[in-house]
Parts: sequence; structure tokens; C-alpha cells
Amino acid sequence: MKNILLVDDALFMRYALRLMLEPMGHNIVGEASNGRDAVNLFKRVKPDLVLMDITMPELDGLGALKEIMLIDATAKVIMISAMGRELIIREAILLGAKGFIVKPFVEKTVLKVLEKM
Amino acid sequence: MDEGNSFFTNEPMLEMYIFETSNLIEQLEEILMKVEESERLSEDEINEIFRIMHTIKGSSAMMMISNITKLAHSMEDLFYYVRENKNLEADVSKLSSKTLESLDFIKAEISKIKDGIMADGDENELVEDIKEYLGLISGDKSIEIKREPNNKKQRYYISPGSTIKEETMRKFIVKVTFEKDCQMENIRAYTVIHNLKDSCKELFHLPKDLIEDANCTNYIVLNGFVIYITTPKTKEEIKELIEMEVFVKTIDIEAVEEFDENILEVQEENKKVDVRIYVPETAVQEKEITAPSMKQNIISVNVNRLDKLMDMVGEIVITESMVIKNKDLEGLSLDSFNKAAIQLRKLTDELQDIVMAIRMVPISLVFTKMHRVVRDMSKKLGKEVELEIIGEETEVDKNIIDNISDPIMHLIRNCMDHGIEENDERVDKGKQRKGRVMLEAKNTSGEVVIKVIDDGKGLDKQKILSKARKNGILTKDESDMTEREIFGLIFVPGFSTKEEVTEFSGRGVGMDVVKKNIEKVGGSVFIESVFDIGTTINIKIPLTLAIVDGMEVSVGSSVYTIPIMSIKESFKMKREELIIDTSGNEMVMVRGNCYPIMRLHELFKVETKNTNIEDGIIVMVEAGDRIICLYADALLGEQQVVVKPLPPYLSRYITKECGIAGCTILGDGNISLILDTAGIINGVI
Repeated sequence: MKNILLVDDALFMRYALRLMLEPMGHNIVGEASNGRDAVNLFKRVKPDLVLMDITMPELDGLGALKEIMLIDATAKVIMISAMGRELIIREAILLGAKGFIVKPFVEKTVLKVLEKM
Repeated sequence: MDEGNSFFTNEPMLEMYIFETSNLIEQLEEILMKVEESERLSEDEINEIFRIMHTIKGSSAMMMISNITKLAHSMEDLFYYVRENKNLEADVSKLSSKTLESLDFIKAEISKIKDGIMADGDENELVEDIKEYLGLISGDKSIEIKREPNNKKQRYYISPGSTIKEETMRKFIVKVTFEKDCQMENIRAYTVIHNLKDSCKELFHLPKDLIEDANCTNYIVLNGFVIYITTPKTKEEIKELIEMEVFVKTIDIEAVEEFDENILEVQEENKKVDVRIYVPETAVQEKEITAPSMKQNIISVNVNRLDKLMDMVGEIVITESMVIKNKDLEGLSLDSFNKAAIQLRKLTDELQDIVMAIRMVPISLVFTKMHRVVRDMSKKLGKEVELEIIGEETEVDKNIIDNISDPIMHLIRNCMDHGIEENDERVDKGKQRKGRVMLEAKNTSGEVVIKVIDDGKGLDKQKILSKARKNGILTKDESDMTEREIFGLIFVPGFSTKEEVTEFSGRGVGMDVVKKNIEKVGGSVFIESVFDIGTTINIKIPLTLAIVDGMEVSVGSSVYTIPIMSIKESFKMKREELIIDTSGNEMVMVRGNCYPIMRLHELFKVETKNTNIEDGIIVMVEAGDRIICLYADALLGEQQVVVKPLPPYLSRYITKECGIAGCTILGDGNISLILDTAGIINGVI
């Protein structure tokens, strides 16, 4: 049972993740639609885990990841990415992201990731 | 931090490490502020920076704090290069920025250690950045730092639980496959390598090029991902590390004696793919910690011991009084005794002074930190501001230093954010382009006066009043308020709503907290300001004397002590001089000024025969810069008193504003309550 922060500029994606996670007993403690809000929310809410999209307005996933890692170096951030963004994912790993999920994904994938975290 | 055990169990080593490293960090920060101001990096400064980083590296390695070690090591490499290449064209501001960043990281980690938390910050980004920069300025992609080979063995001053032995290296060939359709297998493989590399002395992988080679993803899907590692870790440990990447499906680990043949075989099979060797840096070689050369002869003393010493001296003063003013001695002619008593008194006075002096530290400890604050704010806000410090050698009690640092930091941030205008705006107004902030400190008879002065846009009374009105914090009629009271509204909790608080000057700090912290050490704060010219924030803090010179006064059968420091004068009044104002309050005119009278017997509800204003004595006292006249029965005489806090069972009933600061034991063994003049004045006016 984890407290999760969902970050994605698409309401659809956040909704989908919520539907996958809540029945499993996880707690969605916040939603943000851009990196800046994500960082502020992270500070307030201190989730166990962050699921974060990469491409977002204002501050993108990498930027938000960077800031979150500075706030809490033990933060668990999983990046969500579209296919083909290899260099960015690599960058994210180097910045401290604990893993990544590639879009489109299935429920099984997400839950598997949650288990491991 | 790698091993939790060895350093948590070794408290003195840890304290020393924190103490020394903190000092080094402060030293380094001072140097960097100078560097940034002068925009030059002198040879001496380079050497100093190199040396400090070298020392931090050494001691952090001893304490087995790997992130600080690695970071300090890379900084050391950078400055080694700079030192060895005198004709270098390095960007001074870049160098100092990177060093400051590293400093901040180290500071943060030390802070964690101090709080007993794991120092788990990731230094990698900083290290990479430094290496990259070094590569840039050395014009070299593969940086080779030419250093003498360090043949010294590792030496530890703390022995970790087990004895240190040569770690046995194991060789494994690992084949990893990933879940079907998990996507980006090449990056997953990259993640696996990323998680493994710190634990491996050697690591080769197949395919070699995970990022640029477009075919490698396919290759991995079809054939799996093969890694050749030399590591001290066990099979299980390696498995665990690999499994950190969520989509790993299978792991086949085979222990082998040697690699060479296998690699050749693989090379033969697929000529397109060559094996790349990945060799992490060799472990850091340790040297002894050399204590930093302190600029003065100083030893560090535990503050608790100092406090005990102060208490002890206080007891001695009381007891001395009890001996010298003893009832048994009344009426006796004691020439020789009196002479000795005077001698004793002299000595205890001196002892008192010395102990007080030990606790005094120059306020520069707080002030010099502000250079960094101004620099950072300057950069963040895009305003050029210079900081001037006056009187940094002024000494204050250690207790004050600890409590004043945050308020001053906040005040400076605040004035830079809200007070100082944008540079262009200033030029338009006819002011100097650069904003000026001045920090001033001086000692005046028993008080420390600190001022934060800026030449910014000053405070707007109307704006303040309307804001106070809006947020419902006006307690007085606006027309009745003095300028000082209006400016004082800023300190009222609730003046700034949360939404308005900017990232820099607000966030849960706030002017009300500043005021509270200053008052916590017995000080007071008030603001003076002229619109468009500037603002001055005045802080006054009485020297925290546990031993005060007091004037004993009697009120009925009770004895109160008034700190002499707050007494301006005392006199007897004539009935004609008494003035009653429209609300029925008593006042007296002194040299053209009117002051309220506070009858102590009324304030403390003590019975006394002296109700006539002529029979008692008026003691004029001051706190902050308000003045009030106290009416007591008689002056009993000066007395050195040791201020003791009120006993806990009274604290339920006594509040801050009740007018009692503490209590003391008189020479005759009786108790006297010490008046809190500020509290009384604040209660009255």
C-alpha cells in the first residue's frame, strides 16, 4: 500500500493510472499536470512513489526529477515515457529515477513496478 | 555513507569529523566570496582550496562517507590541474560556482550526519559535471591526472567490526534477459550496468554500445544481454543488484576463473560487436587527517560545560553575599574581615568577567555568512547588491549568536527582495545602480545593537495600513498610531498572508517569527524607514548576563530587584508634579517629557503603607526605547544578583507579560523577584 503522486499533463493518463492503482489498495495522494506543480506537491505531500511523465509544459519530467532528487535523494520516481526517448531515459536514470515504464503499458506492468519499489 | 556500524559507534571521531569539516567548509566559503568579488583566483587561493578539498577527502574516506569522498576527490583533481597549469584560461566564476555547489552538497550531507541520518546524497551529477568541466579546460577527452602513484596502504583510525583483509575478487559471466515486450531493452540493459558498476572492479558487456547502436535492442531481445564482471560481491548480491531493474526476466550467472578466452570467442563469433572495457576509478587511497592550521590558538569547549561554569560562578556570587552580609556579623567591628571581603569581591568580579568573556564570540561568525546569502539572492533576483559590514568584531554571547543567525538572514533576504529596487529602476530614481545593504553591530552599555540598513524604496505607510486593515490585525485607531507602530505592524502574525509570501523571503519564516526569535533572547526590534530613501531595522539585545547588577527596592514587605541596566534615574516626587490623564492614569513630567507611572504595589497586588506619591520613590526605567516610571516604597541598595529562572511549578501561572524575569536569592537568604522591565512596559503602554 503506497502513497503515490501522479504526474502527467494528460488527465486521461492520470485517470488510467488511478484506476489501475486504487483497486490494489494504493493511495493516490496527489496529481500534477506539470513539473513545477509536481515539485511543489512533492514537497507538501511526500509520497512514497512518483509516477512521472516526461514531456510536460512549464517544467518537464527531467527538470522535475532533478528538483525532487535535490529535495529528497531517496525519492522513488518512475518515469513514464513514449517509445524512442532513449537518451532522456538514460539521463533520468543518471539523475536518480528508479525505473521507467514505456507507453503504452498494461496494468500488469504498472503493478509489477509497484511491487518492486 | 556505506557502513552504518563503524561510524555510529564512534562518537568522538564523528564529532571531530563534523567539527573539522564544518570549519573547513566555512573557511572555503569565505575564500570563495572573496574570489567572486575580486573576480580573480590567486595562487594562494588555489592552493588553499586544493588543500581544503584534499583534507575533506581524506577525513571523509576515513569515516567511510563515500559520496563526500568522491566529490571532494573530483574537486581536488580539478584544482590540482588548475594549480599545475598556471597559464590556464579557466573561467573564475565557473570554478567558484562549481566549488560552491560542491560545498552545498557536502554541507547538506554533514547536516544529515549531524542529525543522525544516513548521508545518502548522490554526488554523481556533481562529479560528472566537474569531470566534464575539467575535460573542457584541459582540452582532453580522457583526463589523465598526472600524480605521483600513491603507494601508501589504506589506514583506518576506526576499525570496522572485522579486520580488514584483501577482498577476494570473483569473476562472473552473467546473461540477462528481459520481459517480453517491455520495450527499450537497450536502456534497461543500461540501467542494469548503472546499478552494477559501483560494485565491480571490472565490467565488460555485450553488446558494447547500448545507446547509439540501433540494432542492439534487437540483439538483446534475441540473444539476451551478457556481462563479464570482476567483483568482490557474491552471486546473490549481484543478482539482487541486477534485479533492481524491474523488467529483468532471467539471470544466468556463471562463476569463472578467467575471462580472456570467452571474450575472444565472442569476438570471433560476431565481428561487428566488440567488447568495451569499463573500469571504474581505483579506490581512494587514504592519508592521515592533518588538522587544519587554525588561525588563532583556540580549543573547542562543550557549551554545556560552559553553562555549568556560569552557573557555578553565579552560586559563588550568591554565597559570597551570604557570607559577607551574614546576620551573625551584624554590629561587629570587622576591619580585617572587611578588607578580606573586599579582596574576595574583587576576585569574584574578575572571575565573573572572565567567564562572561569566554562565552563571547565575535558576531562576524554570523555576519560573514551573509555574504553568501547576498550573493545567492543577487543571482536569483537579478539585482546587483553589495553588502557592507561594520563592527563585525563586536562580541556577543554565544547564546545570542545561535538565535540571531536565522532572523538576520531572513531580514537580509527580505530587504533584498522587497526593499531594494531593480538596478535600472534605481538609476532612474537617481540612486546608485548597485543596491546597498549594510550590517552594523556595536556594543553600547550592556546591549548589542544590530542594524540591517538598506537604501531601497523604504516602507509605504499607507500600504501597510491598508494591508493591516484588510487582514484584520489593526488593534488601534489608525490616527493614534505613531510611525513606529505602523511599521511595527509588519511584525504582527497574520500581516502577510501565505499566498503573498515569495519563495525567498517567506515560506513559514516571516517577520513575526523574526521578532519572536529576537525576543526569545530578550531583545527588541523596531523599524525606521523613509520612503524611497531606505529602511533601517534596529535590533537591540541585552547582554545575557546570568549575573546582573540590580537595584533592590522594597514594596510592602517584598523585595524586588530592578536590573540597573534598565534604570535611567530615580527620584522622589512632589504631589504637585503628579498628572492624571483623561483615562485616569497617573503620569509625571520630567524635563518636558511625560511618562506613565506604574505603581508596583498595584501591579503585583502587594499591600503597602505607602500609597502617597510623595512617600515612595520613583524609578525611571527603560526598555527598547520606551520609558516608564515605577513607584516603589524605597531603594534598598545595589546588589549583584544571579538571575535564576522561576521554578517550573510557577510556570503554569506566569506568562511572559507578567513583569517578572526571574528570581534571585539575596544575601540574607530571602528571595527577590527580578523585574522584567520590558514586559512591564509592554503591558502598560
